[in-house]
Amino acid sequence: MTSEVTTKQAGAEPEPPPQQRKQRREFVNALFRFQSLFGLVAVFVVAVVFSPRHNGELLFLNADNLANVVRAMSEIGIMAVGMTFVILVGGIDLSVGAVLGLAAVGSAVLMVNDDFGVVATVVIVLAIGLFFGFLQGMASALFGIQAFIVTLAGMQIARGLARIWSGGQGVAIAYGDGPGEAPVTFSLLGERTFNGIVPIPALIFAVVAVVAIVFLRTSAFARHVYAIGGNEKAARLSGVPVTRVKVIVFCICGFLAALAGIVHAGQLNQGSPNDGFGYELDAIAAVVIGGTSLMGGRGSVVGTVAGALLLGVLNNFLGLHGVDPNVQLLVKGLVIVVAAGLQRLRPTV
Amino acid sequence: MDNAVNPLVEMIGISKSYGGVRACRDIDLTVRAGEVHALLGENGAGKSTLMKILSGDVTDYDGTVSIGGAPVRFAAPADAQRAGVAMIHQELDLVPGLTVAENIFLGRELRTRLRTVDRRRTNQVTRGLLERCGVALDPRRPVGELRTGEQQLVTIAKALSLDAKVLIMDEPTSALSPVEVEQMFTVISELRRAGVGIVYISHRMDEIGRIADRATVLRNGSVVAGFDTRDMTAEAAAEAMVGRPVQAMFRTRDVDPGEEVLRVTGLALTPRRERSGRREPDGISLAVRRGEIVGVGGLLGSGRTELLETLYGAGSAGTLRGEILFRGRPFHPRGARQSLRAGMALVPEDRRIAGLSLEHSVAANTVLSIVDRIATAGFVPRARETGAVRRITAELKVKLGSIGDAVGTLSGGNQQKVVFGRMLLTEPVLLLLDEPTRGVDVGAKAEIYQLLGEAAQQGIGVLLASSELAELVGVCDRVVVLSGGRSVRELDTRQAGEADLLAASMGEGSAALAVEGGENA
Amino acid sequence: MARRRAVAAVLTAATALSLSVSCGTTSENSGQGGGGAQESECGGPDGKYTIGMSQANVAEPYRQRMDDDIKAAAESVPQFSVEFADAQQDNAKQVSDVENFLTKQIDLLIISPNEATPLTAVVAKAYNKGIPVIVLDRKVDGDAYTTWIGADNVEIGRTAGEYVATTLLPNGGKIGEIRGLAGSTPAKERGDGFREGIEGKDIEIVQSVDGDWLREKGQSQADALFKAHPDIQVLYAHNDPMAEGAYLAAKAAGIEKNLKFIGIDGLPIPSGGLKAVEQGRLSATLIYPTGGAEAVDTAKKLLVDCQDVPKEQTLETELITIDNAATVYNEANS
Repeated sequence: MTSEVTTKQAGAEPEPPPQQRKQRREFVNALFRFQSLFGLVAVFVVAVVFSPRHNGELLFLNADNLANVVRAMSEIGIMAVGMTFVILVGGIDLSVGAVLGLAAVGSAVLMVNDDFGVVATVVIVLAIGLFFGFLQGMASALFGIQAFIVTLAGMQIARGLARIWSGGQGVAIAYGDGPGEAPVTFSLLGERTFNGIVPIPALIFAVVAVVAIVFLRTSAFARHVYAIGGNEKAARLSGVPVTRVKVIVFCICGFLAALAGIVHAGQLNQGSPNDGFGYELDAIAAVVIGGTSLMGGRGSVVGTVAGALLLGVLNNFLGLHGVDPNVQLLVKGLVIVVAAGLQRLRPTV
Repeated sequence: MDNAVNPLVEMIGISKSYGGVRACRDIDLTVRAGEVHALLGENGAGKSTLMKILSGDVTDYDGTVSIGGAPVRFAAPADAQRAGVAMIHQELDLVPGLTVAENIFLGRELRTRLRTVDRRRTNQVTRGLLERCGVALDPRRPVGELRTGEQQLVTIAKALSLDAKVLIMDEPTSALSPVEVEQMFTVISELRRAGVGIVYISHRMDEIGRIADRATVLRNGSVVAGFDTRDMTAEAAAEAMVGRPVQAMFRTRDVDPGEEVLRVTGLALTPRRERSGRREPDGISLAVRRGEIVGVGGLLGSGRTELLETLYGAGSAGTLRGEILFRGRPFHPRGARQSLRAGMALVPEDRRIAGLSLEHSVAANTVLSIVDRIATAGFVPRARETGAVRRITAELKVKLGSIGDAVGTLSGGNQQKVVFGRMLLTEPVLLLLDEPTRGVDVGAKAEIYQLLGEAAQQGIGVLLASSELAELVGVCDRVVVLSGGRSVRELDTRQAGEADLLAASMGEGSAALAVEGGENA
Repeated sequence: MARRRAVAAVLTAATALSLSVSCGTTSENSGQGGGGAQESECGGPDGKYTIGMSQANVAEPYRQRMDDDIKAAAESVPQFSVEFADAQQDNAKQVSDVENFLTKQIDLLIISPNEATPLTAVVAKAYNKGIPVIVLDRKVDGDAYTTWIGADNVEIGRTAGEYVATTLLPNGGKIGEIRGLAGSTPAKERGDGFREGIEGKDIEIVQSVDGDWLREKGQSQADALFKAHPDIQVLYAHNDPMAEGAYLAAKAAGIEKNLKFIGIDGLPIPSGGLKAVEQGRLSATLIYPTGGAEAVDTAKKLLVDCQDVPKEQTLETELITIDNAATVYNEANS
């Protein structure tokens, strides 16, 4: 009955001056859809205006500092892209931080202890991440266990595997040609300047982001992703292979978490089983700030990238000002709440 | 006992409109103490709205409501409850995880002196209430463990605990077994003896004959007949309910049916897990030929939806028996994707729950079933997509601003056309439709019927499940009537009318009247 | 103020070349050589100096105390202002913290690394930019830093062992040990040192269990330990919280009077080991100095006094018993 009522009301509603109203609605919608972009610009401007100065130079805009900002958040950003896919289908992946740790350990152990080459190591570690995501996706989609539970368990399992594999301790990566040394190529990740300016981790993040954006905008698969998040039952009845899509989405997330783990190991010259502790929450935060609905079906990688950058700039800004670390946590918490609150205000249909 | 001067409930001149559509038009209704008053009417006749007004759910209406002679105007259901009016909804509002006693006292828990919940007293009082209803139920059992019928009785006990003087029961027996129905009737007699006035909404004529004193029939928001049930016949009531002449817009076509696309013989499903409220197929045989529209009729709970879902591969998991021949070959339903690929499409029952992603665009919703077909190497070419969307929305005359608008902004009829269009884009040879015109206004209804006709004209076989007699008789070539998950009759609509369909739906043992969907859904 | 623990903190000057053999940190091929690319400018007493202090985490009371010590010591040097960063046990965060300090062009970096290898590169980057780097407590790999200040865990363990051998069990006896986190360097060193201390005496460590540095773990492990070996006379724990946990376990079993408890750390805070000794729960604790005050002293030498500092500064421990616990506590908090 209710549906009947509302639709009839909608039908009977006199149309307002259409063109103008519609433009306004579209504008407001765009504002909300890309809230993190606007938020990023705002935070960036604040960071510039209130930047600490040194001999007249705005320290925030210092090339090294900007490189630091993108480098520091590239791992979270890579994970957040994968997380966006999972959240778009209405899921969540709590295991990414632990998978990052597992991948970091794997990179170090394979190269240092087992004398694998860079390519072999990267391929194996990415495959591990992919397979881990695959198992979680199967458990969640096929057996109908909630993603939250599955990945909570996955988080513990990945952490445990990392501890076992590493013997409970960080495995240091030394570079060289000898046994027990990692190929020098891998140190590219750690030497944080590519052409003198762009850090390689940021470059990897950029590539991941661009591929994901294009993929999510144009592929048939992405349509299925959005449809499942929007209305899973309808998607299933419309012939969307729901189980398969969900499993693939978890694979993507695991794959990207492993990629972030490789980057992590490269940046810190070590794979430690404790690496990535709590990173999943930062990744989720980036996605939420990016305007992706935790209910699924709505959101974008563009938003997530902006959300991650926003967090990065915020971290850097607060750090540069020497704000009390505890207060920093408060500020970040508030930003997340505000971002989520803004989405509530977003006009729904 | 006879209190004709001052009836318990008196509703006079009740009118209510929803955005230009009149749901109630100048309705009078009285209920006396100790009386069971049946309310009859087709889907959309206005019964629900009227009862929502009485129970305080709908507050802006014209006319007056008096309880016990005093005029009242409820602002909320809680007001009505305080005045002694309780409504038992079709979908029971019980919390499955709580016990029977906890549910009954939900929100007004009995406390000890220490302000903690007094479990002992709660259970004691509940036991008394249940005894009054003649039910032997442990108050400490979680409601989720109870059968639907028992849950129904718990809601009645809850209403009693509120000291209800007026009880509104909306199809209370639709999900009950015969034994439970008997139990319910005992309770109702008990209540009547205690002076409670009962408004009883049902479509089962046998029930109404047995327990109701009077009946009021609504059609299109107006009272069209009032009966004393002692001299009411099922035929008279049915005529009053259906009333209108069969509209000419239905049968405009005359197609020669072609080859058989679907033949179902003895279809039965044993579900792996029993799901409450579902009536799985238990012996269904039917056939659909190209260009033919075959109706699926039957009471609520007769298994219409379950039949379509089973054919489509979207029903309960379990063991299938019987035979399905689709396009002349044995067909094993494995899922929506496989069915669509094979040429079978489904327009599901509730477009909001099962049909559309409301906040996504018309375009995204329309092409959803064919995105991977029109994609090249996994990527969807914009032009091909918008082309397909524009073509089908134009063909179906979907009224929309832009195909980028959220589908939720469209009217109900146009939303339904989007689901319809999505399925047509898959180029099916068999179209399964479940209540395609529910919640759709009259104009859009006619358009949808026309589209159905056109689809059949193009050689698509159509299987149409509906709770509307007029729709089945008017649109379909033949109607297969289900009862208890079995196909019990097949009617040729060139010879049979709505009254015959009614009679067939009643079946033998479970004599019942109209085919009615959940108006309150 | 800076001299408040003058006795305890006798700096054992060690040249860059004389690497103490017993200092069993991870294998590092520290190159010979003083200075490297470093050429720290010394501004003298007229300058204003910003010091960046990068802490691994402030969740551990010991590290919070280190920050507090630095803050307190720096207040007496008018030229200094200190900024603190908390890496929350995350190597990557600590790298970013140091990078931020570099952006802000601090004059000196104090870092207490979360782990050695991941922070080596960024510490070297700071050092090579000409910023003096004081590494506290945990080391980094290589030698791209100005000076390391820390205590010698082997020495601390040995002192504890000697105290047991000479004072508590002069005629020999049985000992239970609750160790720190398995695989961590301090746990190994505190255990090894202790064994050196009791060597040659008729003292037997009947069982060693892992307490992971945690009070509650120490308690549950001690529970089992006392049941298995009711004849234990002394309980040696690798830190005070575990010793306190063991004390609670003994008390619950009603045997706390028959036992002696020894811990390590001796933090001068209300919940720390000094108070526990003063109040008689622990027989003794060994001070594991935070090095905070010494770090500020060193910074002052580098920036204000324009002096050289040794590459390694090992802090001496001090044995705390009921005789000196109150005095040391008051001195530390005066």
